[in-house]
Amino acid sequence: MAHIPDGVLSVPVLVGGGVVTAAALAYALKKLDEDRLPRVAVLAALFFVASLISVAVGPTSVHLLLSGLMGLIIGWSAVPAVFVGLVLQAVFFGFGGVTTLGVNTMNIALPGVLWAMLFAPLLANANPRRAAMVGATVAALSVASTAVMVALSLTLSDASYTLSARIVLLSYGPLLVGEAILTGFACAFLARVSPDIFLAPAMRRGGKLAAS
Amino acid sequence: MNALNPAPLIRLSGIVAGYAGQPVLDGVDLVLDPGERMVLLGANGAGKSTLLHVITGFIPASAGTVEAFGAVRRSEADFRAVRLRAGLVFQDADDQLFCPTVIEDVAFGPLNLGQSRDEAYETARATLRSLGLEPLADRITHRLSGGEKRLVSIAAVLAMKPEVLLLDEPTVGLDPDAYARLGEILAALPQAMIIVAHDAHFMASLATCALLLKDGRGHRGSIHQHPHHHSHAHVHFEHDVEGAMALGHVGHDS
Amino acid sequence: MSGKASAAAIFAENRDTGPLAAIDPRVRLVAAISFLVLLATLHSAPALAAALMAAMVVAVFARLPLGPTLRRLTAVEGFLLFLLLTLPLTMPGTELFRLFGLSVSEEGVNRAIVIIVRVNAGVLMAAALLSTMGTMRLAGAMNGIGVPPRIAHLFQLTVRYIAVFHEEYARLRRAMRARGFRAGSNRHSWRSLGHLLGMLVLRSAERAERVAWAMRARGFSGSFPAFSQRRLERPDYLLLLVWPALLLALAWLEFS
Repeated sequence: MAHIPDGVLSVPVLVGGGVVTAAALAYALKKLDEDRLPRVAVLAALFFVASLISVAVGPTSVHLLLSGLMGLIIGWSAVPAVFVGLVLQAVFFGFGGVTTLGVNTMNIALPGVLWAMLFAPLLANANPRRAAMVGATVAALSVASTAVMVALSLTLSDASYTLSARIVLLSYGPLLVGEAILTGFACAFLARVSPDIFLAPAMRRGGKLAAS
Repeated sequence: MNALNPAPLIRLSGIVAGYAGQPVLDGVDLVLDPGERMVLLGANGAGKSTLLHVITGFIPASAGTVEAFGAVRRSEADFRAVRLRAGLVFQDADDQLFCPTVIEDVAFGPLNLGQSRDEAYETARATLRSLGLEPLADRITHRLSGGEKRLVSIAAVLAMKPEVLLLDEPTVGLDPDAYARLGEILAALPQAMIIVAHDAHFMASLATCALLLKDGRGHRGSIHQHPHHHSHAHVHFEHDVEGAMALGHVGHDS
Repeated sequence: MSGKASAAAIFAENRDTGPLAAIDPRVRLVAAISFLVLLATLHSAPALAAALMAAMVVAVFARLPLGPTLRRLTAVEGFLLFLLLTLPLTMPGTELFRLFGLSVSEEGVNRAIVIIVRVNAGVLMAAALLSTMGTMRLAGAMNGIGVPPRIAHLFQLTVRYIAVFHEEYARLRRAMRARGFRAGSNRHSWRSLGHLLGMLVLRSAERAERVAWAMRARGFSGSFPAFSQRRLERPDYLLLLVWPALLLALAWLEFS
């Protein structure tokens, strides 16, 4: 439900989203050496595939966004990674839109990056239980923020979208739960198996990830 | 079940599967009886893995019937039941191992069988113990050596107490130690099995019958032994190193 | 969306068959973006009807397959269902009739229709102009119209590895099923899927490292080869002439 199609939002909202995403992309790419591009591509591909995992939550099932986990693993590179994923979704599956790429990237990627930056320090030398709690918290906050931003994008576009924006907000409930639980388990896994993966050093200083 | 004439565990008749227009399997028949260890032979692309995936219902047969454990299997629900009794060991152990530690991965199958957490872990421990793999229990799966991964992936399937084992190229990429260990483990198992294998050694020491896949058909053969010459390459070190090293078979059966 | 179908959609490289295939991807990308931007501003019935017609005509030129295209359109409708159901109830205006005690307004129904038409015209036009060109040509086209080369290269590389991970994911899931796993709404399922996710992240991080090493081992020093663009030809110029006329006509219908 985070993929708003073309033709729904007003022009000011589209332009606003476009400007924010362009700035975030420029900042993320500036931080990224060109020879680290393959690394981001590999992880962007992984997150794209992982978002195909459907998770049963109560009677419903949801596809994950994974923005919080992306933020925790690749930091600002999550912005171009999400952008590329959304281009693929829009062009080849018809999910989301072309003019809404800016708004959608902003709504999905930005919360993940920002919440992850805030909480990442807690992951240093974290035991699996703490990693799970941090992961689940970041995931839940990211999905909640995305929900609020999608609702705002709709409401700001047209006041008469308000009721549907509220319904959309509620519909994020199962996703929030599923995303928090799975991100939590995944972070516990990573804390046990490869604790130095969070906000991967390789993304920042080209260190070695493959410590096996 | 009659001891003299036991019902087959698995019976395939006229299986056609693969890609439309170009089936990999084109009318394969196969019968696996209790206690049999069948080697599945054939060139690359002959459909050996495909056959195992047809038995477990991952690849649908476009013609023919799959009969397993006394019933014809058609639907996904049918095959779900088959998978609980026919343990499939994948070609690449990395496809199979996904839990943080060995013990968790081995307990995964028993949990799917409905065992409680405690029961599943007890089953997993017992399985590892029976294979002499107990020291690996708390190791991180991702950091195991290739040979260890292979043995653990077999343990993970054995923990479900399958009646049939389906092993897809279990010897590929193993060093001589792991290879020997695997041979011992498999030889000691009571289960009937289908083993995809390339090497003559495995056939000689393990198999009771063979099926050759060629041109989409299965050709059944029996296994018998006769002496023949072969030669090995050996590495001899200038300085004393413990244990000489055999570099696999260079010569062929002739 | 099923994983299999989605991977197939991406990797059906270059399914171009119709007359549109002759047109340079850059031109098609510019045409799609300009149309969609203008579309966002359209509200009047004649303009939207014309836009939908134009999208249908282009879809025919692109030889879009009927079935998948309809499925794509209904997938979007699913998303908009809430919006469309609530608009007639929430927009104030002339009451058409009452439903469960709520007033259904004429303005709201009109607005819902406007959105349905606008969204469908957009999805159809984007599908017609872009979805058949394949990912590699799309990457080149992105670069050709001014998208930074890094994003275009990132896009290309990402597509390449999606294929790899999709297969890896499919094999892992199959192996889980082989051991009797069925995903449900319970702790065991969530833990297992969480482990699967963690394992995929870990392996991809290590693979990322190997990919980077392998590229450097082959002399990669940080700059990718530039995308090569062909010269525009007659059909391209034809579209570049027709398109502004279409856009002007739509604008005229809307704003005059």
